[in-house]
Amino acid sequence: MRAPRSVLKQQFLKKWMMGLQVFGSAKQSMSILERKKAIKLSADIALASTRAGRTCWSRAIIADASKDDDGKVLVQHLLSPESERLKKASTGLAMENKRVRCKKILKRSCCIKRVRKGASKVVLAKSISKRIVKRRTQVLKSLVPGGEFMDDISLIEETLDYMVSLRAQVDVMRRSLAKATEVVNGK
Amino acid sequence: MDLTTGSGPELDETGLDSLQLGEDIRHLIAAPSENASSFTALLELPANQAVELLHSDSGRKQYPNLTFPSNTALLERAAIFSVFHSSNSADSCSVPSNSSSKNLEKGSAVKCEQLETDSYLDSCQPLVSDPTVDNSAPNARPSSKRKEREKKVKAASKKSKSESSQQEEEKLPYVHVRARRGQATDSHSLAERARREKINQRMKLLQELVPGCNKISGTALVLDEIINHVQSLQRHVEFLSMRLAAVNPGMDFNVDSLVAAESGSLIDSNFPNMAMPLMWPEAQVNGNRHQFQQHWQFDSLQQPVWGREEDSHNFITPENSHLSYDSSANSASLHSNQLKMEGRMKLHQ
Repeated sequence: MRAPRSVLKQQFLKKWMMGLQVFGSAKQSMSILERKKAIKLSADIALASTRAGRTCWSRAIIADASKDDDGKVLVQHLLSPESERLKKASTGLAMENKRVRCKKILKRSCCIKRVRKGASKVVLAKSISKRIVKRRTQVLKSLVPGGEFMDDISLIEETLDYMVSLRAQVDVMRRSLAKATEVVNGK
Repeated sequence: MDLTTGSGPELDETGLDSLQLGEDIRHLIAAPSENASSFTALLELPANQAVELLHSDSGRKQYPNLTFPSNTALLERAAIFSVFHSSNSADSCSVPSNSSSKNLEKGSAVKCEQLETDSYLDSCQPLVSDPTVDNSAPNARPSSKRKEREKKVKAASKKSKSESSQQEEEKLPYVHVRARRGQATDSHSLAERARREKINQRMKLLQELVPGCNKISGTALVLDEIINHVQSLQRHVEFLSMRLAAVNPGMDFNVDSLVAAESGSLIDSNFPNMAMPLMWPEAQVNGNRHQFQQHWQFDSLQQPVWGREEDSHNFITPENSHLSYDSSANSASLHSNQLKMEGRMKLHQ
């Protein structure tokens, strides 16, 4: 019986390998930083493609990656079966996000911060904690890809999904690293 | 009252099981039909296999007609929330599969489909009842009845808990909010309260997922933990990709053999033959020592950021602490860690 979590990992691994193969023989000539970028990029795109289309962060990753050449090639390679719909979704996301961002900036500029004078301690504490929470949600938005454009609720759901996928990614990468070092040592 | 998911998975298993459930949810949503026979799913950590087996078993057996991923996804979501459902922990079985079977029979399957179409990314509609859900009246009614029954409970905290779990079971179609004693009843505050309830539900899910967050109360602290965790995971990825780049100068992965090797690594340590050794020039290994030195420093910088999560100065610490996050201290992955250490030490000589 296949556990779903490991299937996710296997999918990710397969796609990641496919992405790495795109680089092919160019690997020999790349510097270590370039290699690292290539590895990370293909890993990220592979991760996003396992969740492709259904989550905001994955679309955001794909949209970002499609902006430069390397990413575009990878995206086309890895996502060719579902590419059409996904690419449209990603580009649409970029447009939509700009609109949402403008609206939010407008809203924030119109909002006046109310100064509470003579507030009781409880109210003060509440406002402080609200500010803290707001600041932290902003940090979280900056962490989760494509997070700036989401409202609180979807942000939390995105974070959930993103965390799970990140864990799977780290796990797979760690294991493949172990395997790689083993093989190197075994030689 | 037995309409609810009833038994929760035991709280003792907390993060591990909930991680499982969370990931199962994600995965089941993502990959309906895995070609299970082509891969040996041995990337899995063995300790959780039983749980997962039960999940996938229950999912596959029970709902052949319905969309497989969405059903089990919702079920497991609901199962997770039955953990918080103090008032309704009726059943004895600790395994979510039973609760999932109950749920399905109660017709939350339709809700599942509903959720899938709604795609929980849509913003909530606080007081709007989804028409399609209403159409599936027999299914929706029990849950709404449940909600209203729950709402009659005056104790605020208990009520919010049960409400939240109820709402979580339905995930998104509609949120019942009824004014409690002494609270404003205008639409704004109702909407706000509904929104707050939703946020709290999801925060609870997140709390399960992040290790060590169960005991923390309060949104701000939980958010802090979540942020730390996500940051650490992202840093892990960076770090691992850097190391992979350093170790594999002439990478040319043969996908199948690598996958087979990955699958085989967990259970048994003897690898099938891998095509990987083809392209690895050993001359590069000496050059990599320099890179590793840099990594030492890079990692020691990372140590303070990790704060309370680990206190040893071992270079391998990030890996080990991440292991502690993982569902089980997997002997195989520990083994792989040891191998990594040995490998690195050899390279440093």
